[in-house]
Amino acid sequence: MTAPYLKPLPQVSEENRPFWEGLSEREFRGPRCRSCGQFGWVPYPACRNCFSTDLEWVTLSGRGVIYSYSVVHRGPAAFAGDVPYVVVMVELEEQPQPMIVLGQLDDCPLDQVRIGLPVSVTFHNIPGEDVTLYRFAPSTPVGSSGGD
Amino acid sequence: MSATRRAAVVGVYTTEQGKRLGRTKVSLELEAIKGALADAGLAHTDVDGLSPLLAEPWSKTHMYWAEQLGERPITYIGTGQGEGAVAKAAGAISAGTCNVALAWVAHAGGGNAPGSKAVPTAAPRMPDFHWEIQGAYMTPLYALWAQRYMHEFGVSSEDLAQVAVIHRDHAVLNPDSVMGRKGPVTVEDVVSSRMVADPLHLLDCSIENDGGYALVLAAEDIAKDCRNTAVWVLGGAEATATDVYQTFNNPWFPEEGKSVRRCTDMAFDIAGVSRSEIDVANLYDCFTITMLRNLEEMGFCKIGEGADYVREGHTKLGGSMPCNTDGGLLSNSHNGNPSGMSVIEVVRQLRGECGERQVPGARIGLALGQGGSVHGLASTVVLAHD
Repeated sequence: MTAPYLKPLPQVSEENRPFWEGLSEREFRGPRCRSCGQFGWVPYPACRNCFSTDLEWVTLSGRGVIYSYSVVHRGPAAFAGDVPYVVVMVELEEQPQPMIVLGQLDDCPLDQVRIGLPVSVTFHNIPGEDVTLYRFAPSTPVGSSGGD
Repeated sequence: MSATRRAAVVGVYTTEQGKRLGRTKVSLELEAIKGALADAGLAHTDVDGLSPLLAEPWSKTHMYWAEQLGERPITYIGTGQGEGAVAKAAGAISAGTCNVALAWVAHAGGGNAPGSKAVPTAAPRMPDFHWEIQGAYMTPLYALWAQRYMHEFGVSSEDLAQVAVIHRDHAVLNPDSVMGRKGPVTVEDVVSSRMVADPLHLLDCSIENDGGYALVLAAEDIAKDCRNTAVWVLGGAEATATDVYQTFNNPWFPEEGKSVRRCTDMAFDIAGVSRSEIDVANLYDCFTITMLRNLEEMGFCKIGEGADYVREGHTKLGGSMPCNTDGGLLSNSHNGNPSGMSVIEVVRQLRGECGERQVPGARIGLALGQGGSVHGLASTVVLAHD
């Protein structure tokens, strides 16, 4: 039996359901404003540029580059056993206003994490819970720099 | 309406600040409120404005304290960071909405540090895009800010560390500070302390402790009969910006600044004071990076030059604008909402009560609260004695 997932999970609501359902369908979706064309992150109920409520959920590339990162050595509650883990802010490639998305980075040696590293969204079903989360991983495999 | 009357901070009080005091929150609140009123020479029956600085839910908090004070007819209901609360209460006093306002906070039992978070028995559900889902908390958020800042401006961990060194030096001169008794630290001590969230080491982070404090503000006609020197509220303001409440806009460090810039410009405008006139300042230093960004955003140096400004010695006691003379959040106290501690230290400096850490002849002071995170919510107040 797998251990229960004890980290925080999102409250899925009428407003955000398309995003979380998208993750379970292996799509990373974001709201785009039909009035001004701007993407918004995080999803708000109205456009953060023109305040229009005429928004549509579109499937995003899920690709971007690391805008900033932190290797976390002290994790709260259920994250305490995961240290060190990497929290990243990823600037997605969609234009015109780049979205900056907070997440965790996997599959990257700690000494290879850097601002500008190309990364892509990955999808993770949570066992025993009706929710899928997103994380990031390097877009192309990154090896350790090695050395003794 | 008659000409606006001035408002002053007339009473301040800080309880013992310490890691675990074994006290309840309400006992610390009562001690702080009684102490601040006694410092002013006022009675609880004089109070007609309430500004609890941690108020959840806010309406219940005000009603609880209005009843506790003997069903006082409270006519000003405020909250906010210490600086914003003082600015708004002063505005209410000037407008005639109230005559005597209390602002206070107490915190007991810890709970801010990552190690104090208990593992739940089932996955908690958070608001949809909350950072805690990603394993982030305050320190990683400020670490992300620091990492990007260091990358853009070529700033080093040693540059950040000097803030912790200076504020500890000040705390050593403050007998009430939590960390002063541990003695000074060096840049080497800071950068070799254990990493919490890269690039922030343990000594780049504020401390976490119990404690309470309170401030009393009063109208000019009342202030002149109070026990202590009136410290006038010359001007203050609050501001918010999109800065990692849940998201932010690129660039993260725009030339025009964000919320700290906006409320500081407004506070100086209202006060009719220029930056060069500030004798002493206390700027919310939850992390070393925050202090550098505060100095830049407030316009004491250019963006990206905070470390140079600190290296030149301006913020040290004896410098052109001594800052965080109590030791700040890094070495004096972080008690849940320590923003008002900054105002209290500036009031004490302007009264000339600061002993070994006194800035000689200090007449005009400045305090900044920020957070929420990172520079998302901010407030600035300018204070002076006659």
